[in-house]
Amino acid sequence: MKKEGVHAESGLLRADRNAHIRKGAPNIRPRAWTGLDLLNGRVVPSLTIVLGTKGCYWARREGCTMCGYINDADLNATGPLVYEEFLGALSRYGKKFKIIKVFTSGSFLDKDELPTDVRDAILYDLKDVPKTIIESRPEFVTFETCEEIARINRSIEIAIGLETSNDYIRKNSINKGFTFRDFVNASEAARSSSFSIKAYLLLKPPFLTEAEALRDAVQSVRDAAEYASIISLNLCNVQKGTLVEALWKKRLYRPPWLWTAVEVLKQAADSATIICDPLAGGTRRGPHNCGTCDRTVVEEIRRFSFSQDVASFEVTCADKVLWDFVLEFEEFTYGVPLVQ
Amino acid sequence: MTRQFEVTQRDGAARLGRLRWTDHELSTPCVLETKDQLELLEEMTESNTDLDVEVIKDSEDVHGTNINADIIILAGALRFEDDPRGLSRALIDIKESTNPDAALYAPTLATPQNISMLIYAGIDIVDSVLSDVKAREGYLLYTDGEERFDEIPHPLCLCDVCRNINFGDGSFERKVAITSEHNRGALLAELHRVRARVKKGALRELVEARCRTTPTLTAFLRLLDEEYNYFERRSPIVRTATLLACSQESLDRVEIRRFNERIIERLHKREGILLLLPCSARKPYSRSRSHRIILARLYKLRPFLNEAIITSPIGVVPRSLEVMYPACNYDIPVTGKWTRDERERAIEQLARYIEANAFDSIVAYVEGPYKAICDDVAVKLGVDMIHPGDSENILSSHSLQRLEEIVRDLIEKHSPVRRDLRFDYLRDLADYQFDNGASAAFFSRAPKIRGVFPRYYASDRGRRIATLVDRYGTLALTIEGAKRYIDGHIGHYCVWIDDFEPKGTIFAVGVLRADPIIRPFDEVIVLNDNTIAVGRALMSGWEMEASNRGAAVAVRHVEAR
Repeated sequence: MKKEGVHAESGLLRADRNAHIRKGAPNIRPRAWTGLDLLNGRVVPSLTIVLGTKGCYWARREGCTMCGYINDADLNATGPLVYEEFLGALSRYGKKFKIIKVFTSGSFLDKDELPTDVRDAILYDLKDVPKTIIESRPEFVTFETCEEIARINRSIEIAIGLETSNDYIRKNSINKGFTFRDFVNASEAARSSSFSIKAYLLLKPPFLTEAEALRDAVQSVRDAAEYASIISLNLCNVQKGTLVEALWKKRLYRPPWLWTAVEVLKQAADSATIICDPLAGGTRRGPHNCGTCDRTVVEEIRRFSFSQDVASFEVTCADKVLWDFVLEFEEFTYGVPLVQ
Repeated sequence: MTRQFEVTQRDGAARLGRLRWTDHELSTPCVLETKDQLELLEEMTESNTDLDVEVIKDSEDVHGTNINADIIILAGALRFEDDPRGLSRALIDIKESTNPDAALYAPTLATPQNISMLIYAGIDIVDSVLSDVKAREGYLLYTDGEERFDEIPHPLCLCDVCRNINFGDGSFERKVAITSEHNRGALLAELHRVRARVKKGALRELVEARCRTTPTLTAFLRLLDEEYNYFERRSPIVRTATLLACSQESLDRVEIRRFNERIIERLHKREGILLLLPCSARKPYSRSRSHRIILARLYKLRPFLNEAIITSPIGVVPRSLEVMYPACNYDIPVTGKWTRDERERAIEQLARYIEANAFDSIVAYVEGPYKAICDDVAVKLGVDMIHPGDSENILSSHSLQRLEEIVRDLIEKHSPVRRDLRFDYLRDLADYQFDNGASAAFFSRAPKIRGVFPRYYASDRGRRIATLVDRYGTLALTIEGAKRYIDGHIGHYCVWIDDFEPKGTIFAVGVLRADPIIRPFDEVIVLNDNTIAVGRALMSGWEMEASNRGAAVAVRHVEAR
């Protein structure tokens, strides 16, 4: 990849983000929804609950180039309020799910973001659910913390936003603030308490060509497979108040092609269990193809997430000729997407 | 020190050049067509090769700096595809902060429709990538835009590819392959057309035509026209190609604005009687039928008059400058109706001209729209203008007789000085070309003038000073003329060269210093400690200083000092 990075743009990044935080986030509570997920190779009903904590500390301090989840944070959040919110969601949807995901738009295990008593109460309430999924940055996934929560709930899966196994890209394109080594350490800590790890990978951080993004994602799946029981491939979309959005508006960024996601899944399917939910698929801000084939391809990607069978990918479209060309020639634009 | 790129010919900011490229040579402007070429160039940005390639990501970073390279890459130029303001700003920032003998590459931006404009703006290298992309998106490209290949029933061009087009059958891939080949052909054909235009000095007319087909390109040309200094610094003072003013943008051409400004700023003040006449299709105007009739009638009175011609798109042309480009060589659509823009420019320039001089009386011998312009100027300035002519026909014998009577009366009234009209031409051209009251230096006393209009030449005490070159309308100096000028104007229009004897062509590498005001085709004086020479500039003065390659001056006469 070209020697570029967020440093030149970091002033912009922070200014933009602060502008968004000050506006305050619209909080419609509880934010929860049901869906289908994969558990031990079977498709099961799941519940997702998003809690309005004060948000990711890293987002407030530095921020990742593509992440706009800080927009969902609530600077006035307190422990009791958050717990109340959680109970509200539970009472509405019940506990009869095989999988319940409790997310905070930050790190569930950051004691500063979510007080330990609230954390423990939530995990206690979910101790009989077959799988509880929480999200955290790796620096909070320590042996001590894992032991603490393992005493309360033994069926936890910790999802970590590794994004890429490439430290250079994670630093310069994403500004994530940790290394692959940190992720490996977190994975080992989690496993010592028999927790499973889900690794989030980001397809197409900024400053990468389509071909570089493809190679990076395939390599990352292979590298992360050893330290994660499941991999979630996140197709980068353009979120409000992010550097990615600023680049996108200047025509310096295009979300990944859906074909690229399909290709990553095809090439890496044999090395790990990979799920992928193309958020905003087929829109200008989300991963997209030419417009004609987008809906079908999004559907095929969802189907693959359940079947893990690359035979899910059947459709083809005239724009594949263009996508092939982009893979081959995009580097010669010197830093802009060849096709919007 | 750049050694790999040499500009051989210029037309404003556009140029023809030679780029030595690893083991072969490319003529610029050029289209990179193969992946090998693209890869080779990309590799050179990262390693130390004999070509110094500089990638500029953000033109704001280089603003006001000074970069030296063989090739400059305007990284991410494609982001400006629909942003003409961004493109013109980036381009001019980069051009103004890099050495003039660097080739500028705008990657993945060229189409048959915009390539002429890109080269006009100063880009030397483009590629066929975007044309290939468009083929894969299903578009056939033409110089006037694009068409989807599944929407046209008949081929729109008859190149080898299109002649055999039968889109009715065949796979999408086959259609793409055919389209791709056509698109490249269209791009190359337009490149060849641009090269031919640069050679003729007629690229401007082409881009004015091309920009018509899309608002983005029209906006781009208008934005470029706001960059007067950028283009003026690169524009020749004369051209052999006819200036064709067929569009609104023609009025904003560098040549016209420069002519207008020099007439106000460089010429000496005129007094007495001003006679305003309408322009004519034939140039110079005094060769036209209408002017010959009028001038014949005023034959004996002319030495007491100042004549000026009202015209679009130039505004006002003093009689003495009718032989100078662009007055001597332009053409406009004549319908008898002036557009509002043309009218306003003419009014503005005529008013400026009258204010800059000190006429006692103004006679407007014009009709129709010209008369309306004069009326507006008279009101604007609060001056009186005498209209001897019939408003319908100034060539009627009645009108001509009244003109003669009125002029005769005015001469009696003001008793102006009698002038030699041939001297008017030489004196005004000297001032127009060399500024700083040059005519006083060349002709400290009235010279002896010989020759048939307009090929006048002036001598003093048997020594030739200058000749009017009718092809360009410029004065060519002799060594005697040069000496007379530099005595009072050391530095102006001078090129100082290294210690060698100049003959034939002087190259930029031998130039030590040059007056930055010098423009291509200017008459210049070449100096070093031992010799004095005169010749024609082939590039601008600032460019001679900043370049290491290329022909700078074509020398005509040399003499020991």
